[in-house]
Amino acid sequence: MPGVFRLRPEPVAIVAAGVVTPIGSDLDAFWTGLLTGANGISTIERFPVSDLRVQRGGEIKKLTSSDEGGRRDRASGLLCAAADDLRARSSLAADRARIGVVVGTALGGVESLEDAITDERSLRTAAAAFYDSPAHALASHLDVHGPVLTVSTACASGASALGLAADLLRAGRADLIVAGGYDGLCRFVMRGFDALRSLTRERIRPFDRRRNGLLLGEGAALVLMARDRDVTGPRLGRLLGHASTSDATHVAAPDPTGRGLEHAVELALGQAGLDAGAVEFVSAHGTGTPLNDRIETAVLRRVLGRRANGVPVNSIKGGLGHTMGAAATLEAIMCLLATRHGAIPHTLGFENGDADCDLDYVPLRPRVTRPRVSLSTSLGFGGCNAALILEGMVA
Amino acid sequence: MTGVSLGGVGVITGWGYGVGAWPDDARRAAGDRAVVTAATPRLDGERFRRATRECLLGVAAVQASLEDAGITREVVAGTRTALLYVTAAAYGSSNRAFVEAGEPGSAGALHFPYTAPCAVPAEVTIEYGLRGTYVTLIGGAAVTLEALAWAGRLLAEGACERVLVLAVETFAECADLFARDRRLLQRPLTEAAACALLVAGNRRIDVGAAGQVSDLTARAARRVGETLACGPLLALALGRATGKDPWTVTGRWRGRTTALVEA
Repeated sequence: MPGVFRLRPEPVAIVAAGVVTPIGSDLDAFWTGLLTGANGISTIERFPVSDLRVQRGGEIKKLTSSDEGGRRDRASGLLCAAADDLRARSSLAADRARIGVVVGTALGGVESLEDAITDERSLRTAAAAFYDSPAHALASHLDVHGPVLTVSTACASGASALGLAADLLRAGRADLIVAGGYDGLCRFVMRGFDALRSLTRERIRPFDRRRNGLLLGEGAALVLMARDRDVTGPRLGRLLGHASTSDATHVAAPDPTGRGLEHAVELALGQAGLDAGAVEFVSAHGTGTPLNDRIETAVLRRVLGRRANGVPVNSIKGGLGHTMGAAATLEAIMCLLATRHGAIPHTLGFENGDADCDLDYVPLRPRVTRPRVSLSTSLGFGGCNAALILEGMVA
Repeated sequence: MTGVSLGGVGVITGWGYGVGAWPDDARRAAGDRAVVTAATPRLDGERFRRATRECLLGVAAVQASLEDAGITREVVAGTRTALLYVTAAAYGSSNRAFVEAGEPGSAGALHFPYTAPCAVPAEVTIEYGLRGTYVTLIGGAAVTLEALAWAGRLLAEGACERVLVLAVETFAECADLFARDRRLLQRPLTEAAACALLVAGNRRIDVGAAGQVSDLTARAARRVGETLACGPLLALALGRATGKDPWTVTGRWRGRTTALVEA
C-alpha cells in the first residue's frame, strides 16, 4: 500500500542552514531577497555563451568563500561557501568521525571533467572529474571524517540528499550530517538545455499563463541535521518524512499523469504519519515550463483534494533560476524560514494562471502567515521525483 | 523479519556473463590491456537504439538478477520494488561524447539527457516498470555497501518488498583520463554491471569501518580486476556461487575501507 509504513521513523532535526545563491550570498540575504522579489538573473560572464540561444542565468558574480588560492573548482567553491555560512550559524559539535556529508547534485564535477578532456596535461582535473569530488572537497574543508555520500537524482537531488541523511542519522551511522545540494552553472549544462530548447528568452514565470521555459541558476544550500532527540538547543525545524520515486516513463520528460510525484508525496506523508490535511504550504518545483507546472498543479489538486484552493503554493525559481541540485534544499530551507518569520515568499514572475494552473500561487507580494507543516516537491531528469514533509519552528 | 536475504545476483563483466566467465587472475588474463571492455548487450526494442552502452549493461544486469532469483519481470513491476543505483564512472562515456561534440546544435536534445548519471536507472525503471523508491548514489565500492545497507533499512521499515541494488561501471571511452590518476584505481579496469535483488530475511546488515579487505572481496577482485562500484556485488555473486557467506564483503573508495557488518 502506498504511503503505509510498518515503522514510523523518528523525526530528524534541521538545526541550521547556510546558502550561497544568485540573490544573496548568505542565509539572511537569501531570505531578504525572496521577500523583496530580488531578481538574480543576469547575462552569464564566467564562460562563453555568445553562441547559445539564451545567454542568461542565475550566475553568482562573486564567490566569497576562502578559495585556497583559487585551486578549488566552481562546484567545490559553491559548497564551501555555503558551508562557511552554515558554520557561522552553528558549530559542528561532535566527534569529527561521527559527522557525515550527504550532498545532492545533477552535475557533480562535470566542469572538471570537461577541463580534463580538453587539457591533457591536467592531473588535478582528472581526479576532480569524478562526480563525487566536490562532496569530498567539502568534507575536507569541514575536516569531518564520517560517511561522505553524493546523491544524483538530477534536479531532485537536493531533496533526496536530505532524505538519505535523515536515514543515516536514524540508523546511527553518524551523529551530525551536513546535507544539501549544489550545482554550478557551466557551459556543459547551458549547451545541453540550449539543445533541449527548454530555456526562455523572457523572464521565468512559474505557473503563469505566459510561462514558456526556465532559466538555469547556480548555488549551494546546506543544512545541519541531527537526531531530534539529541538536539537540546534551537533548531530551524524538523524533517518529518521524505521519499524519492521514479516515473518509469521517459529518460528526460516527466510523466504527464504525475503519478510518480503523487506516489512520492503519499510515501513522504506516510513516513511522517500525516495525511494531506496537515499540509499548510507547498513549495513547488515550479520551473516555469508549460508541462512541469501543469503536472504539478494536477498532482497537488489530487493530493490536497477539496483543500487545494486554500493551500498556498509558491515557486522561488523566478528570481533564482533553476539551481538544479541546490534547488530542493533551498526550497526546504525557505519552507522552514517561512515558519520562522511568519511569511511565505511570493512567486516572482507569476501574475495570472490559466485552466491548467489554477491554485493559490502567492502572487505579487509575500503572504503574512505562519505555516507549520510544509510539503516540498521536486522533479528531475530520469523520471526522478522527490517529496519532503517539513515542520518549521518559531525558535 | 527485519533483515535481508539475497534473492539473486546478476553479473556481467568484461570477461563475459556470470561468475563462470571470470579468469583466475585478471591481471594476467588482461595482459597489457589497461581496460577490459564489456560487450554491449543486444536488447530488443526501438527505445534501446538510442540508449547508451552503460544503460544497456544496466538493463541486462537486472535481467540476469531476476533470472538468478527465478522470478519474472512482472513480479518487480510497480511501486513495491526499490532501485538503488551506484556508479563512480559510468557517466563518463556519454559526458565525454557530449563535450567532444563541440558546438551547440552538433550534440542534440536526444544526447544531453543521457549525460546524467540517472539515465542508466531511468532506462531500467522504464524497461521493468519500477515505480518505487529510486535513488542514484555516486562513488565506488564503499558507496555500494552504503546502498546495500540502505536497502536493508527500506525493507525493515516496510517501504518496499524488494530492492534492486544495481552498479554499472564503464571505462573504455575515458581510459586516458583514468590512466592519469592511478592513485584511485588499480589495473586492469574491468567494465562491469551487477545487480543484487534483496528481499526481507533474517540477516540484519549495516556498514562499518574495516581494517582490511575481506577474503571474498579480494578473491573477486583478483579474478575480475578493478570494477569500482560493482566490486561488492561481484563478491556477493562469488559467495553465492561458491557456497561461502556472501555478506562478508568490503569496499574501498578514496582511501577508506568499509565492510558490511551485523546491524
